Amino acid sequence: MRPLTEEETKTMFEKLSKYIGENIKLLVDRPDGTYCFRLHQDRVYYMSEKILKLTTNFSRDKLISVGTCFGKFTKTKKFRLHITALDFLAPYAKFKVWVKPGAEQSFLYGNHVLKSGLGRITENTMQYQGVVVYSMADVPLGFGVAAKSTQECRRVDPMSIVVFHQADVGEFIRSEDTLT
Amino acid sequence: FCGFGAMRRLYVGGLNHTVTQKDLKDRFEKFGEVLDVELRTRKDEEGIPYKTFAYININISEADLKKCMTVLNKSKWKGGTLQIEAAKESFLHRLAQERQQAADHHLQRSTTEAKKQKLLDSWSKAGVQNFTMKAAVPGSEVPGCKDWVVSKFGRVLPVLQLRCQKGSKARTVKYDPSKYCHNIRRLDRTDPDETLSVTQLTWQVEGGDDDISKRRRGEFPPYEPIKPKKSRTDPGDSLNTFSRIRNSCWRMLRKNVFMFPATCHGYDPATTVRSEQNSDRNTEVHQLTNGSDLPTNHRAAQREESDVDSDEEIRSLVAAQQSSHDALQQEAEDIDNLEVVGLDYLVKSGSKGDEEDYDSAGTDELFESRRKPPAPPQEKPSSPPAQQFSDQKRQMKRKTTPGDVSSSKPSSSVQRENPAGVRPAIKHSSDSHSDQDDEEEEGNSSDSSSDFDFPALFSANSNYLRISLADLQRLAESKVPSILRSGLKPESGLPGRHARKEAITPNEILASILGEDSSDDDKEHKKKKVEGVTSASLQTSEETATQRETSQTDGRLRRKREQEQDEALGIQRQKHGETPEALRDPQTDSSSGSEEEEEEMMSAEDQPSSSSSSEEQEQQAGAPAPGSKSSSSEEEEEEEEAPPRVALAAKEEEELQRKANMRRLAALQQRQKEAEEHKKLIQGALANLDAPPPTTGKRIVFGSDDEEEKQEVVSAVEESKKPLFQERLKPSGPRLFDDSEDDDEEGDEEEDGSRFDIRPEFEGPAGQKLMELQSRFGTDERFRLDSRFLEDEEEEEETAEVQKGPMEDEEALEEEKKKNLSILQSVLGTSQQASSKTARKAKQFRDVSALHYDPSKEEHTAFETKTEETKKESKAARRKKREEAQKLPEVSKEIYFQVSGDLKAVFGQTNDGSAVLPSLLSADPSSKSEESSGFRFSFFGDESAAGSGETAEYKTEKIQAPKVSWHQDPRFHDSSSEDELEEDEEEEEQVKKEQQSSVEAKNTKEETPSQPDFFFFSSDDHRLKEGPRLFCRTSQLEEQREEWEERTSTLRQEYRKKHRDAQRKLKSARKTRGSWEV
Repeated sequence: MRPLTEEETKTMFEKLSKYIGENIKLLVDRPDGTYCFRLHQDRVYYMSEKILKLTTNFSRDKLISVGTCFGKFTKTKKFRLHITALDFLAPYAKFKVWVKPGAEQSFLYGNHVLKSGLGRITENTMQYQGVVVYSMADVPLGFGVAAKSTQECRRVDPMSIVVFHQADVGEFIRSEDTLT
Repeated sequence: FCGFGAMRRLYVGGLNHTVTQKDLKDRFEKFGEVLDVELRTRKDEEGIPYKTFAYININISEADLKKCMTVLNKSKWKGGTLQIEAAKESFLHRLAQERQQAADHHLQRSTTEAKKQKLLDSWSKAGVQNFTMKAAVPGSEVPGCKDWVVSKFGRVLPVLQLRCQKGSKARTVKYDPSKYCHNIRRLDRTDPDETLSVTQLTWQVEGGDDDISKRRRGEFPPYEPIKPKKSRTDPGDSLNTFSRIRNSCWRMLRKNVFMFPATCHGYDPATTVRSEQNSDRNTEVHQLTNGSDLPTNHRAAQREESDVDSDEEIRSLVAAQQSSHDALQQEAEDIDNLEVVGLDYLVKSGSKGDEEDYDSAGTDELFESRRKPPAPPQEKPSSPPAQQFSDQKRQMKRKTTPGDVSSSKPSSSVQRENPAGVRPAIKHSSDSHSDQDDEEEEGNSSDSSSDFDFPALFSANSNYLRISLADLQRLAESKVPSILRSGLKPESGLPGRHARKEAITPNEILASILGEDSSDDDKEHKKKKVEGVTSASLQTSEETATQRETSQTDGRLRRKREQEQDEALGIQRQKHGETPEALRDPQTDSSSGSEEEEEEMMSAEDQPSSSSSSEEQEQQAGAPAPGSKSSSSEEEEEEEEAPPRVALAAKEEEELQRKANMRRLAALQQRQKEAEEHKKLIQGALANLDAPPPTTGKRIVFGSDDEEEKQEVVSAVEESKKPLFQERLKPSGPRLFDDSEDDDEEGDEEEDGSRFDIRPEFEGPAGQKLMELQSRFGTDERFRLDSRFLEDEEEEEETAEVQKGPMEDEEALEEEKKKNLSILQSVLGTSQQASSKTARKAKQFRDVSALHYDPSKEEHTAFETKTEETKKESKAARRKKREEAQKLPEVSKEIYFQVSGDLKAVFGQTNDGSAVLPSLLSADPSSKSEESSGFRFSFFGDESAAGSGETAEYKTEKIQAPKVSWHQDPRFHDSSSEDELEEDEEEEEQVKKEQQSSVEAKNTKEETPSQPDFFFFSSDDHRLKEGPRLFCRTSQLEEQREEWEERTSTLRQEYRKKHRDAQRKLKSARKTRGSWEV
């Protein structure tokens, strides 16, 4: 476990900023305590300073997970967001998409969101903007990337994809073993 | 190629958008006769044209066309490169043509027509007119026509031979319509005349200057950020459009365009399902067909179009095409009910008891939004619900006009096309014609979605009832009392909705209070839950089931009247509602008959609203107060329905009361819980005052910029504190600097800023050092150690903290955080000047200056006691203090005289050296070394007291003196939890120093009142000569020793003598006592 290098931090922040923009600041500089990002086995964990201290009691190879996993760095050194970060990103999300209850299941099975399943969308969403997907009951379901801008969304036919699937809470079950 | 001779249709692309029709016409005139120019402009979202092209109908010969192509194609004209191609024929032209062909084809089959004519002739002989034979017994054959019988209601129908399925023995079955129910469609072909002409296929939205009609025509105002919910209101608003569009165009035009082949070949009489004639189609079709058959209706309507059209019509059509296209597009936009919300859209709440809002594909946003206002923590833009209500109202009124009955049918088809959001609007209209649609709706919603929202079902259901009631009254006018009809038509639907809204909210609130988990989407699960909470919802679930049954068995009319009565009952019940009675098990409700359940449903609608309306209003005090609205509308309803109220059977009444009581109890409980919740909320809010939740994010201070804002915000607090300042100031002694005080009062923000600038420098161990350093220079302005010295302070701090073990990690984290923020800044490209360091400082600043008193915080108790103390101090006490302060100089006076008198003589020679130097203390190292043996504090105090009287006075008074006395209690100063011990010491030190210096200042002031130039030092200033003397001994060391020895010897003698005396006395006392005892 080590702190992220500058490069890694940058990669990660770039990814996070797609979803929460400058609200990353609120994650880094929290009023309720010191929180930090740590890299462990290519995964980025977000934890409080207290937990960080506790982890010193464990050897690296025995430690599976600590704090909240935000995502992992791929072999190509790209950052991939995990669904476990949803709890931290959803409150700060700038652009949101609400899916209709009928399309919820589809999304939770890992499919993209179609226009027919799109219930509501934040205005001025740009294309390829990271969005947090909500159910109509405002339960965060996952992340996505807007395939179309808001204006385009109004035009397109019902079967076209409007949000690309990135991560969903269904992964808690589907990829239980890899999700730490 | 079309059938208009040499007429060709050309596509001309690449036009400038300023090109007019006339321009084009002139340009093409020389090649042939231009019949028509059709100019199209494509615009993007902002309305900026980006593409312009034209279709030109031109009478042109082949050679001319070629010439035209060569000349004009790819030529430049008005800033665009023309592109000319032969265009496809307009679809309307083709349509007309194909119809023409079909008509021709039709003529060939005139033999069959003749045959049919013969049949009709024979019928007319037998007295059959328009397929009905009057005064004929059902079942009798039509004379002269084999296989035609008179069925029920005098209609002539054929006896059918139906081929059986393979399994059965008989090959055919004879179907005699007279023996069966009247549920067959007429299998007749349309007359060709009945089809619509091509002209009627397209449409145009009527003009009008208002916003809505402009939108309908596709003319949008310049883009502006859409408010949340705005798009939601659109479907409701444009219902009229919907109906018109649907009726005339959507179906026909669209189908004609896309299903054209079907129309040209689809005249097979055997397969064509006939609908009724155009005139009564709208009403009758719906009785014959269920909603599910609507697609066939589409087809039927489409086949009814006329085959013959005049060219003029077509021409006019072509002219109108553009607008129709635009409108179509707009239409398409309207039907997709995509909701776009602003950036500030608030998520209702993450995961707590939201299952109520968890609506299915069909569940409308309307209800969602309506449910929102009652829940206090959930904020919402307030206007939309009201807007929607008004929309619905309008809609309802429109619907009730009898002429619009036809409009309702197409809207039901809309419903099928877009199953979601617009539903509420459409549902009402679909209700208007037949109840079966209702039933089907219910069936759909309950069947199709496992995750259907139960309360939504409930609400939707009740909606149907109300509205269909109104419509039924209209339909069966003669049977319903006229008073009721007139009263209910416009309003029955609306109050019902209000009432229902109220009925939902208690459920929701209760559910949320009980804290049931929100994650399950299973309907049954939910249903159980809701059952547990209230009986009302239970009743409705049964209600839906029973209603379906009844609808299948009963005639619609009857049921409607029942409901009507029930509604009246429900209202009466509502009046009885408050009388307390024994609790009743909700399960008994389920066993009662369907009629009763309907009643219950009605009462369930009304009752909770009445019982909880008051608290609802309390809750919604800040909100747009839909509660009050609803209550008023309820009253209206009551008034309206009062006349037809029916007397109740005693038993029923009892039941009602029981139910009402139950509901009342539930409401009471709920209110209690609400109150608790409210309390909790307030507590939570108060606890979080200083540290706002991260979601709001607005009040968190990250930079020094924000800090200023903060100060402004808290200026009110400072205002309140100011008297405190002044009170403390006055007793602090003779006021030397009234002006500065006044300044303080006036521009206190700036002053505060400057004041608090100093503080962080003296923070921490490094700060202490700095403070020490500063103290060496006295309080001279010129040697003030300010932020420039902070640099080495930081270094020092770092080194100091390296030594401290546990602090190391934190520092590293801090560094990391800083780094992260800088990276973030680079990533975002915006200035994120918030580093944790400054944030911490800002926090401390805030603690001192912008202290926000919070009674719920423990740390603030210190502050609290402080303020109380200040309040307790009466004027007398203050006066006393002042007197003390004024006495004090006298005490020090003596000391002064004592010392100075001797010093002058002894240390005359040192004065010359020290007089040049500005600071006395630093100038005289010898004196320092002599004095430094003692405690540091005392040294400092001595120094200020003895030596730098004037200078100390000069500086301290100006900057710190006003605050000094007030700051005596260090607790007050460090109400923040993070203050360190060192700081406390520091402050004490400072306070002491300043006290002493102030005292000294007073002394010196009294001593040297005649000094005119207080703030200046000239080289021959006598003060500089006098001052250093104070540091030095006034006598030689030997002298002092001698003196001391003398004194000690005398003192010793004195002491011994006294001791002896005392012992003697003691002895004598014992003796006397002993004698007494003996």
